[in-house]
Amino acid sequence: MTGGSGDVGERWDGAAMAPTPMGPTAMALTVRGIVAGYGHEPVLHGVDLEAGPGELVSVLGASGSGKTTLLRVVAGLHRPRAGSVHLGADDVTAVAPEQRGVGLVPQEGALFAHLSVARNVGFGLAPTGRARLRRTAAATAAARARVGELLDLVGLAGTADRMPHQLSGGERRRVALARALAPRPRVVLLDEPFSALDAGLREQVRGEVVAALRAAGSTAVLITHDRREALSVSDRVAVLHDGRVEQTAAPRELYATPATARVARFVGDAALLPGRVRGGEVETVLGRSPVRAGAATGAVLAVLRPEQLRIAAPTGTGVAAEIVDVEFLGDALLVTARPDGGPAVRVRAPAGEPWRPGERCRVAAAGPVHVVPDR
Amino acid sequence: MTRSTRTGVLAGAFLATTLLVAACGGGSGPAPAEPAAEPVAAGQRTLTLYSGRDEELVGPLIQQFQEQSGITVETRYGSTTEMAAQLAEEGDATPAQVFLSQDAGALGALQGSFAPLPEDVRTAVPAGYTSTDGGWVGLTGRARVAAYNTRVSEAEVPADVTELTDPTWKGRVGIAPTNASFQAFVTALRVQEGEDEARRFLEGLQANDVQTFPRNTAILEAVDAGAVDVGLINHYYYVAAETPPANTRLKFGAPGTASALVNVTGAGILAGAAQSAEAQELVRFLVSPGAQEYFATETGEYPLVAGVGSPQGVPPLAELDAPELDLADLRSLDETTQLMTQVGLL
Amino acid sequence: MLRRTGPAPAAVAPPDPPGHSVPAGPAGRRAPRLLLAASVGVAAAAALPLVWLLVRVAGADPGRVAGLLARGRTLTLLVNSVLLVACVSAGCLVLGLATATLLARVRLPRPGLWWVLAALPLAVPSYLLAFAVLAVRPDARGLAPLVLVLVPACTPYVTLPAAAALRAADTGPEDAARTLGRGPLAAFCRVTLPQAVPAALAGTLLAALYTLSDFGAPALLRYESFTWAVQAAYEGTVDRTGAAVTALVLAALTLLLVVAERAARRRFTRGRATSAVHRTPPAHPGRAGTAAAVGGLSAVAALTLVGPPAVLVGRIVAAGGIDVDWARLASAAWSTLLLAGAAGLLAVLLALPVGVLAARHRSRGAAAVESIAYLGQGLPGVVVGLALVFFSLAVLPGLYQTAAVLVFAYAVLLLPKALGATRSAVERVPVEAEEVARTLGRSAAGTWWAVTARQAWPGVAAGGLLVTVTAMKELPATLMLRPTGVDTLATRLWAETALGAYGAAAPAALALLLIACVPAALLVRAGPAREQER
Repeated sequence: MTGGSGDVGERWDGAAMAPTPMGPTAMALTVRGIVAGYGHEPVLHGVDLEAGPGELVSVLGASGSGKTTLLRVVAGLHRPRAGSVHLGADDVTAVAPEQRGVGLVPQEGALFAHLSVARNVGFGLAPTGRARLRRTAAATAAARARVGELLDLVGLAGTADRMPHQLSGGERRRVALARALAPRPRVVLLDEPFSALDAGLREQVRGEVVAALRAAGSTAVLITHDRREALSVSDRVAVLHDGRVEQTAAPRELYATPATARVARFVGDAALLPGRVRGGEVETVLGRSPVRAGAATGAVLAVLRPEQLRIAAPTGTGVAAEIVDVEFLGDALLVTARPDGGPAVRVRAPAGEPWRPGERCRVAAAGPVHVVPDR
Repeated sequence: MTRSTRTGVLAGAFLATTLLVAACGGGSGPAPAEPAAEPVAAGQRTLTLYSGRDEELVGPLIQQFQEQSGITVETRYGSTTEMAAQLAEEGDATPAQVFLSQDAGALGALQGSFAPLPEDVRTAVPAGYTSTDGGWVGLTGRARVAAYNTRVSEAEVPADVTELTDPTWKGRVGIAPTNASFQAFVTALRVQEGEDEARRFLEGLQANDVQTFPRNTAILEAVDAGAVDVGLINHYYYVAAETPPANTRLKFGAPGTASALVNVTGAGILAGAAQSAEAQELVRFLVSPGAQEYFATETGEYPLVAGVGSPQGVPPLAELDAPELDLADLRSLDETTQLMTQVGLL
Repeated sequence: MLRRTGPAPAAVAPPDPPGHSVPAGPAGRRAPRLLLAASVGVAAAAALPLVWLLVRVAGADPGRVAGLLARGRTLTLLVNSVLLVACVSAGCLVLGLATATLLARVRLPRPGLWWVLAALPLAVPSYLLAFAVLAVRPDARGLAPLVLVLVPACTPYVTLPAAAALRAADTGPEDAARTLGRGPLAAFCRVTLPQAVPAALAGTLLAALYTLSDFGAPALLRYESFTWAVQAAYEGTVDRTGAAVTALVLAALTLLLVVAERAARRRFTRGRATSAVHRTPPAHPGRAGTAAAVGGLSAVAALTLVGPPAVLVGRIVAAGGIDVDWARLASAAWSTLLLAGAAGLLAVLLALPVGVLAARHRSRGAAAVESIAYLGQGLPGVVVGLALVFFSLAVLPGLYQTAAVLVFAYAVLLLPKALGATRSAVERVPVEAEEVARTLGRSAAGTWWAVTARQAWPGVAAGGLLVTVTAMKELPATLMLRPTGVDTLATRLWAETALGAYGAAAPAALALLLIACVPAALLVRAGPAREQER
């Protein structure tokens, strides 16, 4: 990478990366078979990940699942033992991070504490090395304009001269995003960018950041352990567990038809009831329910989300159950009920209903049920 | 136990031990200055000596005195001028009982601080080499010399050291401005040639990039190593040097000039110790034939007590044609150091 | 995954109090009267030398004082001293940051060893290094060899805090810089290194103060610095006004340096922009890289630690052996231990009230008391020595030339070291723990003993050790204040070096190095080396 003559817009033109004829081209980012780790213990055991142009893909995983390592591999900060990373058609597996054209938004922003907001954002626009000697006034002006443009984009115009410690937590995240976007990276990587923010602020900052990403049309990979975050903002979500991707799917699909019991539990509240599929129906402790198309057969676990279950008075329909606990959510009730002879399930009920622990009731599943293999 | 606690324990033990030892080990610990603060065992006699002379020159002699007399001498070594200043500052409060000086000027400057010496000590040394009022006694004579490296020929080295301000000597001359002997030489110059001449000489040296050393031994080493070509010292440093300076020769000053100054070392008993038998014993020892012999043979100084032979390898005292100068004239040490301070040598 | 979550930092962080770390305790808790009184007493003791020097100069003939100040010599000394301090500071900063980078960011074999080796030059007196240089090159003199000697001697002051800061530094920004087009070295230098700058600057100040107050090395290498001039005036003039005036100018210069550093540090220290800590594991430099790093670190350690004794022992061998007065050496070693140990203890005792006050009862008054207690940091030994000669003679003639005055001088000079350690040790004890103890029925004093002291004392003791090590090699104040007839290893060594007795100096030098190395090594193992080994 020649590293920025004057034209900021062509910063990441991929000059240093040899196009590989075999490489995938339709995807902005393609990660194949990554094995990586520290010392002798691999953290990632063959991870695949793709992101299309302009797509926002989340990597969802608990702590220790390897998601930060994956992000460092994609950024070029950690060298994998096996596998490849492609940006577009270019194989960048061996390319240094500074020549890769990826943007990074680390946890809590990691702004350069000694530089002003404007200089943080302009950091990636400044020519380095020998190019510094050939810096032109036009290039400097272009860089300044780009900084202004990005501060506008993240809604922080007017903070250019402030120092990082004078910003709020949310503002820091947005400056970090602007800094990452400034050189027009081919993909932006966000590492838990909303952690350590208060709940209310978190949603607001999330909205602002995602809006800025969308407005910039950037391809982005978001690392998170928060399923709501992953489901609400992403085009697709990859669930990472123990260094392996368990499933990659659009949020709705992931929620409605998880591939495994673990994914089912990880992406939302669910009762997993053992059952058998026979003739398009699954039989569980809640009785028989139709099975969604294309589901597993034989011994399965039925995935029953609280909003999929119905609760009724002992005189109503469903199997008899006893109410164990009632949680008031404000807009609804979350009732835990134990069907006779089965494990407890959670049912979402309208807020106004008078359920009390200890009462008897009936519980039934509504509509077709998703099942996953019972392993 | 965690690592940090263990280290803490060690550190604490270290500090506690030192404290304990400090509390209990009074005897061998740093002794308080006043003799009264420590109960003196019967028969144990002590004496506090301020020595303006270097330890390697007089240390063995004091050791000898301790062994002969059974008196423990606590010696404070420093430069003669420093000790004179300290005695002046301390006044009556001084813990010192005897002052051993490298030069007559410092002794003269302290005029009035000394107790009269016993008659036998006072008369042991011929007049002209000792005090006129009997406050201090001259011990040995010494000459100012120019020590020069043998790569310079003797003829090149000026017999009158005031010529060392000539540009040919730029950066090649070493002096010890804090040393009382150099200061006494400057005093002699002031008295003989006048303030202006002395100032001109000092400024000339300063302008000629004169090399300053903390003391005479360092100058001699520098001359021998060739770091400077000429150094102004007292003759006996050459004689007393542990390893004979192979590349160094001495040039004695031109007769009659301040360069040929003959000065004396001396000792006096401080007024507060007028009644001290130990102090008198020490001074008496210093003018004894044994001690005088020590100076002649070990340090190459000229003994002042009659009947003790001259040191080897240097011209006899009588042949040194010293300037017409009274030793009492050297007492204006304060004026000299003030002049040197103004010039910037101090 | 190294991640620490916590509450979002305040939008605008309050600026740090000058020169100090972020406070842990709540401000404004009223201080007990006894504590306050003790602290004020300590501050008065710390201010005593400077005040007395002022009194002395004020009592002198004003014309004389003006003449001394106005002479061209003052300017020469000023230029010399400033030049020396600038060169040594720059050298220490560069060497210290380089060493710190190796220690903190490169995986070396036996990491703990290198931390200890990097710290040990603290135990080597600079005049010993100068003496070794002279033994090899008798004509060495002036700025260049002096800088060569002082840089390795002072570098640990920079290395240790800078390495600690680098290890604690957030490497997240460095990762970001890599993705923004900087190479590994550029990213490190532009982004992570600045995080270590405040610590390195603080360390550089210590190096500069040491340089400015160093007497032995400039005297041996004949460089006319201020300390040398004070000592020369002390030794070479009858009227000590000259020494006092020069000492006062020197004190003013050092205090100016302290103030300038505080201002500079404030400029560089910004509130942390992030509380997340990303850490990059130490880099594997490859076999050649490791060899180069280990070689470089060993070379510096060997030159400073092994070089001087080796040169001196070489002289002994060349001379075919020397007579060592073992009894005298033993008594000097003993005096050194006693005096330095007592100094460590006294410094801790003085530091305790002020440290607790500063850690637990912060107020404007407490800050003032603490600042005054730090005065010793800006006062060279030669100044404190001179002032205490004047003071003890004029006010306490009974204590003149006693060990008590010398120990007091050490304590005042080195109080800042003990104070820093005490304050941070107390600050690390959570106030909440004290409050819980109070609710469980303990009195304030009982709580202090049962909770605070129990947890804080290793840190406090480490401060005392640091004072002890430094006192062992202190020279100018020792020369002026020691009781008549008492030698320390430092004064023994100094006497031999002044005589050019290279061989004869070896036993004292070795003894001093051995004695000083033990607590110095202990000190490092207590701190950074231990953390490094985790």
